[in-house]
Amino acid sequence: MIKITNLEKFYRTEEVETIALNKLSMHVDTGEFVAIMGPSGCGKSTLLNILGMLDDPDEGSYVFNDIEVAHFTERKRADLRKHNIGFVFQSFNLIDELTVFENVELPLIYTGVPSAERVKRVEEVLDKMQIMHRRNHYPQQLSGGQQQRVAIARAVVNKPKLILADEPTGNLDSSNGNDVMELLTDLNEQGTTIIMVTHSEHDARYSHRIIRLLDGQTVMENIMI
Amino acid sequence: MSPSPLCKRRGMVEKINENKKSLMIKNYFKIALRNMWKHKTFTFINITGMAVAFGAALLLTLTAFFELSFDTFHQNKNDVYQLYIEQHHANSVDEGSTMPIPMTPALKAEFPDVVHITRYGDFGGSALRYGDKIFNDDVRCVDADFFKMFTFPIVNGSTINPLADKNDIVLSATVAKNIFGNQNPIGKLIELKVDNGWKSMNVTAVAADAPKNSSFDFGLLCRFEQFPGYDQNINEWNSQSHNVFLQLPTGEKQAVFEQKLKTFVQKHYDASIKQLIHDGAKPDNNGQVLSLHLIPLTDIHFSAISSQSRAISKFYPYLVLLISLFIMFIACTNFINLSLGRAFTRAKEIGVRKVIGATKTQLIVQFCSESFVICGISLILGVIAACIFLPQYKLAFNQQVSLNILASPAIISYILGGFVLISLLAGGYPAWLMSVGKTAQTVKGKVGAGQSSSLRNSLMVVQFALSSLLIICTAITWQQLNYMRTKPLGYNKSEVVSIPIGSNIDPEKALTQMRSKLSSYPQVVSVTGTDMNLGKGLDNSSSTSIMSFNYKGRTVSTNWLRVDYDYVKTLGLQVVNGRDLSRSFGADSTMVLINQKMAEELGEKNPIGDLLPTDGAKLQVAGIVKDFNFKSLHHEIAPLTMVIRTGWPINYILVRVKSGNLASSMALINKVWKDTNPHTEVGASFLDENTERQYNKETDLSKIFVTGAIISIVISCMGLFAIVILIITQRTKEIGIRKVLGASVNNILFLISKDFLKLVLISICIASPIAWYAMDKWLQGFEYRIQIQWWVFVITGTIALIIAFVTISFQSIKAAVLNPVKSLRSE
Repeated sequence: MIKITNLEKFYRTEEVETIALNKLSMHVDTGEFVAIMGPSGCGKSTLLNILGMLDDPDEGSYVFNDIEVAHFTERKRADLRKHNIGFVFQSFNLIDELTVFENVELPLIYTGVPSAERVKRVEEVLDKMQIMHRRNHYPQQLSGGQQQRVAIARAVVNKPKLILADEPTGNLDSSNGNDVMELLTDLNEQGTTIIMVTHSEHDARYSHRIIRLLDGQTVMENIMI
Repeated sequence: MSPSPLCKRRGMVEKINENKKSLMIKNYFKIALRNMWKHKTFTFINITGMAVAFGAALLLTLTAFFELSFDTFHQNKNDVYQLYIEQHHANSVDEGSTMPIPMTPALKAEFPDVVHITRYGDFGGSALRYGDKIFNDDVRCVDADFFKMFTFPIVNGSTINPLADKNDIVLSATVAKNIFGNQNPIGKLIELKVDNGWKSMNVTAVAADAPKNSSFDFGLLCRFEQFPGYDQNINEWNSQSHNVFLQLPTGEKQAVFEQKLKTFVQKHYDASIKQLIHDGAKPDNNGQVLSLHLIPLTDIHFSAISSQSRAISKFYPYLVLLISLFIMFIACTNFINLSLGRAFTRAKEIGVRKVIGATKTQLIVQFCSESFVICGISLILGVIAACIFLPQYKLAFNQQVSLNILASPAIISYILGGFVLISLLAGGYPAWLMSVGKTAQTVKGKVGAGQSSSLRNSLMVVQFALSSLLIICTAITWQQLNYMRTKPLGYNKSEVVSIPIGSNIDPEKALTQMRSKLSSYPQVVSVTGTDMNLGKGLDNSSSTSIMSFNYKGRTVSTNWLRVDYDYVKTLGLQVVNGRDLSRSFGADSTMVLINQKMAEELGEKNPIGDLLPTDGAKLQVAGIVKDFNFKSLHHEIAPLTMVIRTGWPINYILVRVKSGNLASSMALINKVWKDTNPHTEVGASFLDENTERQYNKETDLSKIFVTGAIISIVISCMGLFAIVILIITQRTKEIGIRKVLGASVNNILFLISKDFLKLVLISICIASPIAWYAMDKWLQGFEYRIQIQWWVFVITGTIALIIAFVTISFQSIKAAVLNPVKSLRSE
């Protein structure tokens, strides 16, 4: 599904040039659950942003579903992204002014799903995440675990092929964290590819494979059995 | 004895407290300046907006105060009144301020308690001779009481009673300087041109020039006995020619005196009253058909009745003041909204200050000091801008404003009061709102955005409603002006040149000479003369003569127009019945032309050949011309009678030229006229220029509307721009999330603009009915007017929406194309 080759990304300030990704190559197959680990500043988030087509690489190739997307225009990337990729963030990133239902509905609005169909799909996914009873609440009225469940619901409502999760349990206690990991595992078992950035060895154990990064390069790959 | 240790300590504590206070104030201003520097965009928008508003409001306020200050410089302003007469007819009411000559002596004799009384007659622009030099100046004829009633200080000569003798004359300072240069004019003799030659007058005094805000303007003042026609009309109650002013005893009420005048009117107007009743006059509430009334001196400037006034509606200065308040309000709204919006970003600072011990008062003082700094800078810049643009403003808006008014305590307190109020309101309210927030919340950077956003929205609605109101008013004023400019008036106004004859040539001779000289030029079609200009010529004068006579037992009133041969041909009028006046009919000086309205007034099926018993002589109707607008479009076409009688002087020569190359025709006419009358000072003008000049007041009004509209829309948009920046800052995270979820640039643009466009739409809905009502009222003042069209509101609304949308888009697009990775990271 994903094949990146010699990917490079630099950040420049006036004085220094930081290399975030240094000729990084990797691949992810359809249906895999991959964890990316590494210390702060190793390039995890940069990699995730590029994989999520939020950012473009400076050098190298990125093939997504047999399409080279490394130098796609912003518009094309956005189009590919909204149909194929769901995001889960550490800080949930729900919109405070919208209710649970409206937050989850948002991606469907942007992909132009008709209203009746939207209601059906949002209800379906809320039901699955067991937060249906909270559909008219605002994010601030929910616990952290519930908020992350809403965020995951929002990430999957569009039935994406790939879910990118950036430390999804980072702001949660261990019990809520485990719930979230179970949810991700379920999604993966139903066929969704998942790439997750994490600091937690515990969470990483839910994955099939761990890629460890240091200074923008792959230093080790562990296959989980 | 040395102070006790306790006293010493108290003194130290006080000193420390004082130090603390001054340190605190220093700290406030330091923070204020740093904050302003840090948020340059907001500071710039605040200061520019406020400075422009202060400057514009200042100029407009000066204009309004100038208009309102008319005639207020007279010491006796509360006791002096102008007399006017009111006559009720069957279907109409006539009000006029011109009086018969015997009125004043009669009032003096019958009301001994009236303190002073004077007639004020316009001698007309008159020729003066001193030595062999000839001058042309405005001479007014007054009674000796004039200088006791009005405050026109004598700067040279007799101060006690400068017009004691019949042949005394008083000059204005400017005229004295013109005629005598550096010589002392007192005691010198100058000659005044009267009907039959020159008359010697003795200069007794020089009065200071009348200020610009005076309804009276004069170059020379002579005794009323010199007034043209004085001797013939000394006992004539039916010939009105001048204004009368009187000073009541201090404390006497206007209404009381008007009551007293009842018996006076009955005594002197007995015959007129009987005639009015006979003609079916409807009496007023007091049962009178003819009555005398008073206009307070300070109201004369705004009076439509007084022939002394410029008939500026009193509504006008207040409208100007209102527009200046609108502009100030809009700028203040920006200020308040930006402060409120920034409260959000500054909440953390406030929280920290509270945590380390700042009290609510201290916080409010801090924020107010910031707003005082900004308002202060803006006020100074605004005053500077007003001073710089004053000459252009005066020129563009035809306003007689001077900065001297600024020195008046009323204006100073008005401006300073406004300044303090604005600073307190704009700084104080957001400060209060922020300082009452819960410390624990504010330190986390949270401030109740909800309560301030509804206030912000309401303020923005009012702001845009005011701007839309001004845009709509501009559009409708412009439409009406355009309508008046292009409406066919029933005569040729583009190819007819009008020449004011002036006083230094015999008018009949001038006409004859011009006729014969111009006849040799092929581009001249015809030449005629008249006593009344069409529109307003370069001599800036306009007049009306109305003649009433008894026609078959009832009174008929008609406008009276002295014309000469070829009047119909020159103006391109249409004779619909009978014939034109023509030299080929020998006796045409006893024939008249009437318009269709007059024919209607006479009530005859075919009035051709009818005899009109006017003015002693019987005049016969020769023809009827199609109605034309001989007055401005404010007035309906009235009955008109045109006569060729050399007894009435002509004042204007009208020349019809061929179409094409009008400029060269004008040059030719001016040259020939200069040959004929070398002393001429006033130039000729085309009639279309003259009719345009009639609407100067409306043109000025429309200019004020346009400027007000532009300034308010620009300031409103600056505010909107800043608010959008704030909103986007607050919603950066949301925009980022939406983009990650697949929102396009258009989605984001729509998201941000829809809330604002909704507000603008509401504003338009509020402004439209108000504008419609106000402009409909205004249009009522025109006999000929446009209908207000619904699409004016649609178009102006669309324009307002587009302007707002462009303003919003500018920042929104910037936010929408931003990489969401950045906006989410900053979180």
